[in-house]
Amino acid sequence: MKKLLVLSALLATVAYAQVSKPIEMPYVDYPMAKGDHDEVAQQYCLICHSWGYILNQGTKSRPYWTGTVQKMVNEFKAPIGKEDQQTIINYLVKHYGYESTAQH
Amino acid sequence: MSNINRRNFLGAGLILSASTLLGKETPKKIITEAKNFVPPVIAFPEKKPLKVISDRPPLLESPRDIFTQAITPNDQFFVRWHMPDIPTYIDLNEFRLEVKGSVENPLSLSVDDLKSKFEPVEITSVLQCGGNSRKYYAGTGPATHGVQWGHGAMGCAVWKGVRLKDILHRAGVKGSAKWVGVNGLEKPAMEETPKFFREMNIDEALSGDLIVAYAMNGEDLPYLNGFPLRLVIPGHFSDSWVKMLSEITVMDEYRQSFFMDVAYTVPDNDCECVVSGSDFEYKRKPIAIMKVKSVIGYPTPNTVIKKGSRVKVTGVAFDQGKGIKEVMISTDGGKSWSATQLQKDHGKYAYRPWSFQWEPKTKGEYTIMVRAINRIGNIQPQVNEIGWNAGGYQYNAVDSVNVKIV
Repeated sequence: MKKLLVLSALLATVAYAQVSKPIEMPYVDYPMAKGDHDEVAQQYCLICHSWGYILNQGTKSRPYWTGTVQKMVNEFKAPIGKEDQQTIINYLVKHYGYESTAQH
Repeated sequence: MSNINRRNFLGAGLILSASTLLGKETPKKIITEAKNFVPPVIAFPEKKPLKVISDRPPLLESPRDIFTQAITPNDQFFVRWHMPDIPTYIDLNEFRLEVKGSVENPLSLSVDDLKSKFEPVEITSVLQCGGNSRKYYAGTGPATHGVQWGHGAMGCAVWKGVRLKDILHRAGVKGSAKWVGVNGLEKPAMEETPKFFREMNIDEALSGDLIVAYAMNGEDLPYLNGFPLRLVIPGHFSDSWVKMLSEITVMDEYRQSFFMDVAYTVPDNDCECVVSGSDFEYKRKPIAIMKVKSVIGYPTPNTVIKKGSRVKVTGVAFDQGKGIKEVMISTDGGKSWSATQLQKDHGKYAYRPWSFQWEPKTKGEYTIMVRAINRIGNIQPQVNEIGWNAGGYQYNAVDSVNVKIV
């Protein structure tokens, strides 16, 4: 968090300058639950989006997370093998979800 | 009616868990639930500190108190991109807007060309994400898919630019043309991921209201709001208001795509709704025109006000461009309603600010609610009446804010 604050303070100084040089986007270190192969989720999910996307979804059912991972693979073409898909789903259900047959 | 029972049941659970959260500090443990997820508030380039739902792609939510203003300041205007790879620098000497496809004369226009060779037009219009206010669906039913925005994925600005119609006429649309595709410079991380590509009917593209904007509230567009050009489609949700607009492709055939046929769709029926908790297994249609809506800018939730104060309750209302007829307010949780005073009219696509003088005379908890009706009789649904859709789009139920009088 400290790192973040320093970074945003630095950015504030350039915020209103004309866009004559590249903008610098802040990096946010969203917390990820540890264990249950979080490294697999990290490896694939973060290719395209921050962990904020997951945190913002709230606690979700197994079918929801399964559907979401499938959407990433089928629609967005995330290069996640079958086994790793299952690992990610299990990780998400355990740390950001619950066991249920509900769709949401 | 089993769905109703289920809704009530789930709703009750959600209300309970929400009330236990009130007044709690930021959780110290690792964040694992949306209701505990407090996004960091950080200043991005050209922006004041905003809620950072995601840094990549950037999703920045405006605070509720921006609804005390009819025009949203550029530095507090919300941000929503789809792709992680956004150019961090644009050289206007190099940048061109390409107009191609089924046209007689393909064009390659610089921003200077647009400013000097076309008639400038200005329009004040609300820009609202289709998923704005989505989190409130969870108040009465299951939370939907998608980013759980509060009300802060919308704003209203004065857009200046060139009519899309004028650009298309300059290019000379061929008789065979039926569709217009638009895309900007944002790119996915992987080649295989579908591009953010949006399409509209040629008739819509040629209607006079759409503009290619190069200015927002009298300034260059902020980088994160689409510098140097973005499409403006007054009255429509923002899904096709493409940022960093770089290509306009006139087409004879519709091109199927994820972002047209899957994302930003609602059930293709009259109520645009399904039994709450359903999955996406329904026939879909793209979201399009906005629905009548009003929100409270002041007081914000959990404001503590001294008894006998003269409180000026303020907010904004808007619709798809028919015009707001009335905004009603209740300070007793919906038992009785009064008219608010509509303020200056900034145009039919703009926010209509409203205000209401309130003098709370007794201590206690109050629920302030507002409900708008437009000139063709569209009225905001009550919270328990709004039709549910799995994508959580088009939320426009009555807004409410709880305050405490002491």
